Amino acid sequence: MAKKRKRSSDATAPAAVPKPDDSAPERPERTLFGFKDDSAAEPASKDGGPVGPFFRNKEKVLITCSRRIVYRYRHLMQNMVSLLPHAKKDSKVEAKQSKGSALNELVELRSCSSCLFFECRKSKDLYLWMVKSPAGPSVKFLVNAVHTMEELKLTGNHLKGSRPLLTFSSNFDQQPHWKLLKEMITQIFATPKDHRKAKPFHDHVFVFSIVDDHIWFRNYQISVPHNEIDKVDKGGLDKMTLVEVGPRFCLNPIKIFGGSFGGPVLYENPFYVSPNQIRALEKRKKAGKYATKVKAKVRRKMHEMENTLEPDEFADLWKGED
Amino acid sequence: MVPRKHAKMVELEREDPMVDDEAMTDDEAMLGDDDSDNEDIESEDDSGEELQAEPSRKAIYNKERLLEKLEDIAWPENVDWMHKLTIDHDQGEKVDVNDDLNRELAFYTQALDGTRRAFEKLQSSKVRFLRPADYYAEMVKTDSHMHRIKGRLLSEKKKIEEAEERKKARESKKRAKEVQAEKMKERAKEKKESIESVKKWRKQRQQGGFAKGKDDGPDLNFEGDEGFKQSKKKRPGVAPGDRSGGLAKRSKQGKNHRSKDSKFGHGGRKGMKKQNTAETTNDFRGFNQRGESQNKKRKTF
Repeated sequence: MAKKRKRSSDATAPAAVPKPDDSAPERPERTLFGFKDDSAAEPASKDGGPVGPFFRNKEKVLITCSRRIVYRYRHLMQNMVSLLPHAKKDSKVEAKQSKGSALNELVELRSCSSCLFFECRKSKDLYLWMVKSPAGPSVKFLVNAVHTMEELKLTGNHLKGSRPLLTFSSNFDQQPHWKLLKEMITQIFATPKDHRKAKPFHDHVFVFSIVDDHIWFRNYQISVPHNEIDKVDKGGLDKMTLVEVGPRFCLNPIKIFGGSFGGPVLYENPFYVSPNQIRALEKRKKAGKYATKVKAKVRRKMHEMENTLEPDEFADLWKGED
Repeated sequence: MVPRKHAKMVELEREDPMVDDEAMTDDEAMLGDDDSDNEDIESEDDSGEELQAEPSRKAIYNKERLLEKLEDIAWPENVDWMHKLTIDHDQGEKVDVNDDLNRELAFYTQALDGTRRAFEKLQSSKVRFLRPADYYAEMVKTDSHMHRIKGRLLSEKKKIEEAEERKKARESKKRAKEVQAEKMKERAKEKKESIESVKKWRKQRQQGGFAKGKDDGPDLNFEGDEGFKQSKKKRPGVAPGDRSGGLAKRSKQGKNHRSKDSKFGHGGRKGMKKQNTAETTNDFRGFNQRGESQNKKRKTF
């Protein structure tokens, strides 16, 4: 990790925010220290006053993973790091009982305001923690259908650090938990304006779409004919094409917690079945197959023994003729 | 956390607030909660009897707190769009997850529509947002990786072309077979017709009673042995090595077959084949009459 310039506001902000030890509904101090430095902006926004010039997005995302992560998922994590110029990478974290507190500390130490934690279990299943720090909320996802950027089928390419456009499907606005997720995703995945590592052009677009209660992620490169840099050619918008860059994944929300890396459960996915369970079910099915076979065999035998065939009286009628 | 029980499950509306009081009030240890959740899952493994389609009944859904949290973390409402760059897209009808093509198409249209609208917004706000052609910077995928992608695309294209060619060749072969069959049929027909005509002529002649003499009609004396005897000694214009006895040149067979016949079949001694005759000595077809000037590969000493 390169050394970061310390901004005085960054250094003081986390210290100023109290640790979220409770989830009391009344919270006088808003815990979004990303734009906390000018506290005047916050109440003004509540009243609907102009905040535009004061608002500054200082989001920083810590990206780490658990130990013993599989290479495929590690590549996915690295893809995310390359996609988010405002991300900081950290070394792997041991997935222990106390990893929540350790991660909280780490996030605070790196002065980040949110965290993406890739947790790999049984070197099969990938869980993704999406956390707003320090006051929460945090979401735990199961990650499915992972395709990394390295795959040769995904032919697009775009500038590293250009700010993505975020598109959401409209069903994000239908239910409260989706609304919350949308806000979190926006804050984590949108590159802050005028970030020092961000490039000034827009040449890729993120897709977040809810299909079948899963959030599907896609990343496309935008190729549009243009000669000037502030205007698309006439009719260029119709000629615009997108090329997929990757990565691809599908997030299945499991739980939403009130705090960061823990806290009271606010939402639980009623349809969620853990991969462990699915595997167990499959195994049991397989085991059942053999058991039924054996049972059927035994039953048949018993049946045959009970109903023995009577000896046929005409059985040796033609015996003497040979 | 309330342990889930799956023994009985009833179809529930998802919008129902599936919150019971204990869930509302519980204030638990903040950290390590995820682990307890894992244990919970493992205990479920043992209990079994779970179906994916049915929602679990005890699932917590605390709407008020969710919205509260959302308010906590949300950016000010009138924040400039340039900060967020978000576009909402109405998907229309529901997308089937298992239909890969349709699903990807839905994502693509969402991205395309979103980008168009975003670009319109960006254009109207007069920002410089399109990358100039001479702006070179680091990309997310390295050049070597892009090279590999290109190689794969090319090889795929080549494969497709080759397959197409093979298909074409197969088709043309099939057609050639058909043409050949047609030809054979025609030939058979011709043969039949000629035989028929000869028969007819003969009948006519017989009816005429041979009265008019031998002059009308072709001179064919099939009757005697004489007619079928080949004169072995006099074969004018036949090479001594020609095992077909000169028949090869006259027959209608293909060139290949004829040459093979003259080489291997139809009588005659084989040894004579290698001797020169007056004809072959005068045949200059095998020579390059323009001399050696054309042949560059050949070395002259």
